[in-house]
Order: sequence, then C-alpha cells, then structure tokens
Amino acid sequence: MSLALFHRHVLEDHLSGFEANANPNHLSVVRRPAIFSVLAHRGQGAAVRTALSSVADTHIRDCGPEEWLLVSRTSGAAAVETGVAEIAGASHVDQSDGRVLIEIHGPSVRRILARCVALDLHSDVFVIGASTNALCCHVAVNLARTGDDRFEIVAPRSFAGSLFEELMEMGREFALTASFSRD
Amino acid sequence: MTSYRLGAPADGSGNGLNRAHPLTFTFDGRSYKGFEGDTLASALLANDQMLMGRSFKYHRPRGPVTAGSSEPNALMTIGTGARGEPNVRATVAELYEGLTAVSQNRWPSLSTDFGAVNGLFGPLLGAGFYYKTFMWPAMFWEKIYEPLIRKAAGLGKLAMQADPDRYEKAWAHCDLLVIGSGPAGLMAALAAGRAGARVIIADEGFQLGGSLLSESVSVGGVSAADFARSTVEELTSLANVTLMPRTTIFGWYDDMVFGAVERVQKHVGTPSPDLPMERLWRIAAKRAILASGAEERPLVFGGNDKPGVMTASAMRTYLNRYSVSAGTKVAVFTNGGSGYRTAADLSASGVTVSAIIDARAQSSDVVPEGVRVIRSGAVVDTKGRLRLDGLIAERSGFQEQIECDALAMAGGWSPVVHLMCQRGAKPVWSDDAQAFMAPDVGAAFIAAGSAAGCDTIAACLKDGAEKGAALCLALGFSSYAANIPEVEGDYDPAFAPLWYVPGAKDKAFVDFQNDVHVSDLGIAQREGFGHIEHTKRYTTAGMATDQGKLGNVNTIGIVAGMRGVSPAEIGTTTFRPFYTPVSFGALAGTSRGEHAAPVRTSPLHDWAKKNGATFVEAGLWHRSAWFAREGEKGWRDSVDREVLNVRHNAGLCDVSTLGKIEIFGTGAAEFLNRVYSNAFLKLPVGKARYGLMLREDGMIFDDGTTSRLAENHYVMTTTTAYAGEVMAHLEFASQTFWPELDVRFVSATDQWAQMSLAGPKARAIMSRVVEDDISDAAFPYLAAKTVTLRGGLKARLFRISFSGELAYELAVPAGYGEAVADAIMEAGRDEGICAYGVEALNVLRVEKGFITHSEIDGRTTADDLGYGKMMGMNKPDFIGKRLSSRFGLTAADRAQLVGLKPIEADKEFKAGAHLLKEGASPSMASDQGWVSSVCHSPTLGHMIGLAMLKSGRERYGEKILVWDGLRGSEVVAEVCSPVFVDPDNRKLQG
Repeated sequence: MSLALFHRHVLEDHLSGFEANANPNHLSVVRRPAIFSVLAHRGQGAAVRTALSSVADTHIRDCGPEEWLLVSRTSGAAAVETGVAEIAGASHVDQSDGRVLIEIHGPSVRRILARCVALDLHSDVFVIGASTNALCCHVAVNLARTGDDRFEIVAPRSFAGSLFEELMEMGREFALTASFSRD
Repeated sequence: MTSYRLGAPADGSGNGLNRAHPLTFTFDGRSYKGFEGDTLASALLANDQMLMGRSFKYHRPRGPVTAGSSEPNALMTIGTGARGEPNVRATVAELYEGLTAVSQNRWPSLSTDFGAVNGLFGPLLGAGFYYKTFMWPAMFWEKIYEPLIRKAAGLGKLAMQADPDRYEKAWAHCDLLVIGSGPAGLMAALAAGRAGARVIIADEGFQLGGSLLSESVSVGGVSAADFARSTVEELTSLANVTLMPRTTIFGWYDDMVFGAVERVQKHVGTPSPDLPMERLWRIAAKRAILASGAEERPLVFGGNDKPGVMTASAMRTYLNRYSVSAGTKVAVFTNGGSGYRTAADLSASGVTVSAIIDARAQSSDVVPEGVRVIRSGAVVDTKGRLRLDGLIAERSGFQEQIECDALAMAGGWSPVVHLMCQRGAKPVWSDDAQAFMAPDVGAAFIAAGSAAGCDTIAACLKDGAEKGAALCLALGFSSYAANIPEVEGDYDPAFAPLWYVPGAKDKAFVDFQNDVHVSDLGIAQREGFGHIEHTKRYTTAGMATDQGKLGNVNTIGIVAGMRGVSPAEIGTTTFRPFYTPVSFGALAGTSRGEHAAPVRTSPLHDWAKKNGATFVEAGLWHRSAWFAREGEKGWRDSVDREVLNVRHNAGLCDVSTLGKIEIFGTGAAEFLNRVYSNAFLKLPVGKARYGLMLREDGMIFDDGTTSRLAENHYVMTTTTAYAGEVMAHLEFASQTFWPELDVRFVSATDQWAQMSLAGPKARAIMSRVVEDDISDAAFPYLAAKTVTLRGGLKARLFRISFSGELAYELAVPAGYGEAVADAIMEAGRDEGICAYGVEALNVLRVEKGFITHSEIDGRTTADDLGYGKMMGMNKPDFIGKRLSSRFGLTAADRAQLVGLKPIEADKEFKAGAHLLKEGASPSMASDQGWVSSVCHSPTLGHMIGLAMLKSGRERYGEKILVWDGLRGSEVVAEVCSPVFVDPDNRKLQG
C-alpha cells in the first residue's frame, strides 16, 4: 500500500477562503519555504558564514553566536539541504516544517511592527538585510528587514495561529490584509 | 449669572476655542453647549456650572480648583453603560459632541447631597477616626464598618460590564524625548529637531503649547498661543520629530524607557472599532528632557474649598485659553506676582476685580488700574454654600467682608518633578525658590524650563532651547543655535512663602480630594505620626487619584511649620509611577480574553479536533485530553475505554509537544554523559536511551529519551513542561561549564509531528505504514532510526513506550502530521485502533509506575523514585553528582516512591493527600509522606496511586491512612509496588 500524504500549512484555516485583494499594507505567508538552522562548530564560524552566502537562492538570518537560519522562498528544502550539507564545519537541521515564513509590507509596516516588537526598526538602525531574533507579540521569532517597508518574520509553527491573529489585530488600524504568497 | 463665557475678542484671544464648531453635551442630565477646544470644566464654567463635585469625606460642594491634571475636585463619570469611566478630571477631559457626564459621590443630587451631614460630625471624623472609632467588636470591622465607610465615602463607581473597547501597546524609540510642550519643551524639541535628532515631544494636553496657551504675553511679536501654533507647525514639518498630544508620560523605568498612555479616542463620541481607545507606549529614549512646568500652590485658609475658589493660574487659563471668566466680581488672594497677573488679565477683559489681598507687606508688582490692594492681608473665611459669595479679609486684626463670586489664590510655584523622582532620587528643597527642585539623576535625563526652576516665559524658552541643543551635541549631532524669541508683557512670578493662614473659622483644606485639613495634620503630629510618610497614611493627605499633586508641598510646609523646622528636614513622600491614573485596559493592551497568552497548537491539533478531542491547556499548549464517543457519559468513560483499548488493541496519541533538541558535535557524547546522571558515552548509533538529568543540588531536573542518529548527531526529548528550561540548561552548561567541548544544539520541537502508537497490535499497524522491516529482531525495544513511509516520506521511528505496551513513536515533518495520523488510523481500523489523549496517557503510565513532574517535583532524588541504578557514580563527573552524596539525600528514611491501592476497592483518594500510620493523629511529626499521582485503573477496576512514603520500599503490604484534610476524606490503603501492570515488562519487549 502506498500512502498519498498531503502537506497542510498550519495557517490554512486562517487564510484559505478569507483572501481578498491585497491592500497597501499586506501580510503574505509563504506556503513551502525552505528553512534550515545552521550551526558552526568550534572555530568554524567565519568560514561557515562565508560558505552560506554561496548557497543559491537563499538568505541568511542571524540567530545567535555562530548560528543562522538559511531561508529560501523559491528553492525546495531538498535543494537547499544539498547546498548546506556541503559546508564543512557546520551542522544543519531542516526546520522547513517547524517554522512559518511571513512577509509583511506596506507604508505602515513600521507602525504595525511597533505594536509587536520592542526593537528600533528605524531604517538607520535596522538596515535592509539586518536580521535578529526578537520577541514578537510574545512569540520568539526571527525578524529581518528585506526592504524599506518590507520585513520577514520566521516564527515557530506551533505559535503561528496565535501570532498571525495578533499581527492582524495590530494591523487593523492600517487595513492590513493577508493571503498566502503568490510567488 | 456668575461664571460666564466672554464674547469673541477681536484680537483672537480665547485662542484655544473653535467658536465655529459648537458642541452639545450633558451634565447630570441637563444639556449644555460648548465649543471645540473646550475642556468639560471650561464648558461647564461657561454655562455657570461652578459646582462640579462633592468631597470625599464631608461631601462638601466643590468646584474646579485647577485647569489641569492635578485637579482634585472636578471628578466625574464620563460616558454611559460599559463605557462609563469614573473619576475623570473634567479639567482635562476634552469636550466632544454628545459627551455625557454625571457627578459622583452625592445623593440624591449634586446640589442636595444628604451625605453632607457628615460635615456636622466633622470633629469626630478627623485623621485616624476609623482606627479609633470602629475598634470593637473586632468582627464588625470587616463585615459592617468597612463596607459602610466605603459606601459613604469615596469616588465614582466602576461600570460592571466588560469594556467594549480595544486597547493596544506599542514601542517608540528616539534620541530625545521631550516631556511637555510648553515654552521650554517646544524650544527643546525645536533645537533638537533642527539638529536632525529623532525627537518625540509628548504632552498630556490635547493642544500642544502648555502654558503658552494660557498666558497673555507676546512671544516673537505674536501672541504666545500663535507662537506655540507656528512652532508646532514647524515641528510637524520635520520628518525626524514625532508629536504626541493627548499622551501622558506616566513613568520612568530602567534603561531610559518611559511609559506613556495615549488617549486615542477618549475625545470621540463614536469610537472607531479599528482604533484603540487608549494606547500604552514604551518609549526608549537616549536622552530626555522634563519640561513638565510648575504647579501653582493653593493657599491654605478657612473655607478655601468653596466652589469659585481656584488657583490664579487656573483662572488665567480659563480666561485666556477658553474665554471663560470664573466670576463677575473676582477677588485675588496672593503671595506673589501670579495674583497680580490674574487681576490684570481679568481687568483687561472687563471683569471686575474687587480686591487683591496680598499677604506681603510690599511688592513691586504692577497693580491694575482701579484695583484695591490690601497689603499684609489674609483671607480668613469665605461665604456662600454651593458657590462663593463673598469673603472675610483680615488685616492687623481688622476684618472686613469683600464682595466677590470667585477668588483666585496664588500660593507660589512647585516645579513638577514627579517623573525624575520615580527611581529613588528625592527632590531637593531650595530655600531660594521655596520649592522642591528636581534632583540630579544623571546627564541622560534633565529638567528644563519651570520644571527646572525658571520663573519667566523668556527664561523657559531659553533654557529649553539650550538644553535641547546641548543634549543633541552630546549625542553627536551638530549644535544648532535656536533663535530665542523676545517676550513682551511677561511678569515676575516671584513669591514669598505662606503655608498657612491662621485664624480660620472654617476648615482650611490642605488636600482637597481627601478632605484633609490643617487640624488633621496637627492630630498626626500629636499622635506620633510625625514622619511625612506616616502623616500621609494617618491623614490620607496625598492619596487617591491626584496623589497630592496640589497639596503635598503645602502639607510639608505646614508640618515643617508645626515642628519648627525647614521643609528640607521634612522631605517628601515617595514618588511612584503612575504620574496620573492609567486604566487597566491600557495596561492589558490586547492581552485579554483569548489573547491573554499566545496559544501553542500541535501539528496534530486538527487531527485531534476531527477525532472528537477535548483539549486541555498545558502551559501554552492545547493538548488533546480525551476523545469522547457517542454514548459516553463523561470523561471517565472515554478515558477508561481508551486505556483498555491500548492495553488490548492499540491507540494513537499525540506526543508532539515533547521538547525535541538536535545535538551535534564531536563532543556531544561526552556532553550528554555529563548532563545525564546515567551513562551515555557508549550509546550505539540507532539506539534510544532513557536519561535522568539532575540539578546541581542532586534533585532530578527532567527526564526523557535521547537517541543517537549518527556518530555525532543525537536527538533529545524533554518533557513538555521543561522543554525551554532544558534548552537553557544545556546552553548554560555548554557555554560556561565545558566550553572546550565541541557541541551545538538547536530546538526542533516544532519541526516534527510526533505520535505514539501503543498496544499489542502496534507493530501490525505500523508495518502497514512504514516500508522498513520493524520486526522485533530488526527493530528491537529502544531502536531509533530514520525510516521511509510507504509513499516515500522520510520519518523518524523510535521504539519507546510510556504505557508499558509495545509502542512506537513516529516523527514526521509537521505539515504531514495530520495525513500520517489519518493513515495510521486507517491502517489500524480493523485492529480496533483508537485515538487516546493525555488523560489516558497518564492512567497508562501510573499503572506502570512511570514518573512525571508530579513525582519529579524538585524534592526527589533518583533513588527516591527507584532509579538509583541510573546514578552513574563511576563516571568522573555529571551535573548533580557531587551533591547527591551529601547527608540527607542518602538518609534511610527518605520518602520513596510506592504504589497505593485502597483496601476497600470502591474508595477513592486524591493527589496531595498525606500519609499517616493507622491511628496516628495528623501532624507534621506524624506525616509519613504524600500522594503524588492517582487515577482510576480500568485495568484493575479500582483506584490506584503513586505516593512518596518514608522508607517506602521496605513497607510493601503495610496498611496506611490516606488523610486528606483539605477535602475531608480518610481512606485506608495498602502500600505496594508502584508497578501495577506487567511488572516483568513482557508486553514492552514483545
């Protein structure tokens, strides 16, 4: 007997059927991102960091001392894993199912996030490309700035429903809409 | 008519008002008109409604005494139903169309209040009266006296309905926070804003400008209010400046974080559901300037609380900002320039000033033309009932009645230094200024303007500009020399101290809100409550909603006078957040109801839901507790069925919530060997092992299994509750104890949907789902490896059991969890598989004598729980080894884990009950132990329990009393082995 197993996104019930046209302030959830924890072993930090930047189609997120998340919206987990596995001096863990990837963008994005995180997200302080672990609506997430008015949140799957609802609540004043990402 | 609105002057004064936008509102059911820009108090005064409240204790008629946030008297309930908010200060409540206000603490009406009878008993109701009066019988205090007192005295009443509005919290960050938008604040913000710093300027008022809106001077050639407006316009145009009107900075916290509350929709008749009512801000500032101004002190004389008596500056504010005259014939009682300025402004507006009574023998203040001045004079009594109707002035023993319907009192100035004193620093008394000044709290937070003791508007403008520029320079911004505008028509507000006017015929109030008068302070001194903190508690001076903003300095001055010392020696009471009251709604933000805490759901949550699960909160997790089926009458029916089905067939349980930590590195084996008490160094690849972690003190910290998936790769499971703690423990051990070991770890709890398939038919079912050979020979007890599911999905399979049955734990990527669980249920349908929840899981483990944190309660060692063999004392070291051997942890009479079964099979007992020898009376000395876990065992057909009993393992067969004093039950039970089912583990190995 062969099993036909369907993959289901944790926010399926929050998003499917509720999707409207995106407003200027919009939150989109990436359905199948590839997300890997990468840990450098003793003395390998700099080399691993350099090697990570050459894994195709991925972005590096800072998580802690010599620890990163490697995130891809376009490559599958298998492809990213192949790239990561080649890096000497590093260990990796597939977190693609354990984390959700949420993008939030729009002219009011900083005002929305000011209700969610305690960090100073001024563009001179938290520059494009910056990323950090942070508490967002009481949930430990990784936050990255990907554009002037564009941020990405990598959050634990088990908290995703709660976090999503909280983000939408904080965005209510700014007519924040939400959908699965179309890319 | 007494208080009234002046006509619109040609020069545009009355400049806070928008007369083009009239508003209708009600007070105590009567309809009134006001204008946009009015406060509720100014609008009521414009309608000749001076009487606005009743006092706390004596129910005396009261009117507003200020025009700002320190108001003690004009407290009202604004709004109706669930939106009714008590104790709102009418003096800061922004008027809006349809506002509904009701007076408080009166019955049946504000003008006829039966509670005023309290005034007749005034001599009995002095400071501490209830401590002395309601002494006996003691039981009456709680049941009768206190409820009565609370009913008779007091403030407004809370709405008992749920708050319908939204609240939220937000963070803001800046280089410079400017607190207050008067002359100093505006100039500081302007200097910093022009220099390019990120500036936030916040003001509790709804119009920025502070005292500039209230004074009749000209600044930079225009009216002060116009100057404020144009400055605000420039600040608004600067992208680096954020203006926050209607925002009270209420607290100063660690690391220069300020708490603030923004009243987003308090001034809106129909609030938008998409906006919060209030927003709580945490503002992280590199530097801050306190430009909160100064508070004018009332004078303390007999009858100083009559409606119509207010501070001179308040009267000027009503006049200049709101075009309201407090009366038609106004007297002024002053000890400094402020009184003369009020008289001049009133005169200029055509209001009659009947006299200026100056406590000083002489002064150089300019007397308005035609106004009589009584020098070295004092007010000793006031006339009128519901509002002022004349006063008695005295000079050199000669008393005369002065006609007036309003009285301005000017008692000198106190800088508003509250925020700077919230973190331990005390304000500093200045003999020169006759006031408490801001303490030095470091260079990051400084006072400017009149908060720093500047006396004139010109000085405030200059001080603010200079300090704003200096702080920015210190932060690395280029200095910007602000133009300091010329001020014309300013006055000298210097004053001579006058704490108390002797010869009062009526009560002379120091604290209006709490009805504390001078003789109360005397009682406190006389009765041994002389320390200012004691005086406060004994008399209630400085308590309640205004926290003594208006009265405290006078209290200190008078107590100093009574004791014949300087106010410096008396000192102040402790300043604490909040500066003004903050609603619970704002403090809670969105964290209420279902949003009180984030919810964690398992990848199998939806699977559990569709299988009929009832969920239980376990920390933040919502776990499936049991799966009710039709016909089952209660949870016990479901749990009993699930347990028996697992024992006889098979069951599937969600165990995804267990912590899962991936561990890597050449030092991982050694690391695990040191964090676990039992041996881990030689765990083979492909095997799982149960491990105990101890705390440094030798007690058990957590337990779980760790599997070796590759030479240098392990996966550790922790209990659900301790997942975070264990992760932190590992980090700590790695970073501080053994940094030389190459080991890295990361939590992967959320990555896996993990399910336990348990029961004699588990292998048959699992083999229909897994491609790999899982026969006992190929995949024996404690095997652990990556397998392939039919269809190709990679998964992790562990042969571990928490039920005593043949069992597997299967971990699949979370997104596939529901599909895989469905597939297993389908594969096991013919075998009679069922879903089981944590309640059944608990029964199964109690029947087997397995432990959880009910037993690992921080007081138990491995040996206590029967795991003594897991203490690898031959290992060189492990966390907890050293202290495990200390005396006391090895004593023979320690409580040990045993089983309990009732002698009479139908008897029940509960966890938490204590154990006593039969016939012993309950006492600490006779305590033999406690019950840690209980359940009804459907396998055995009666209740069973796990318990910690002194020397328990030697006492199997003994009868013991299970004594539950809390719930009133006593049951005799037999002590037995904690393993009730399959003691030889035959099923496990099968």
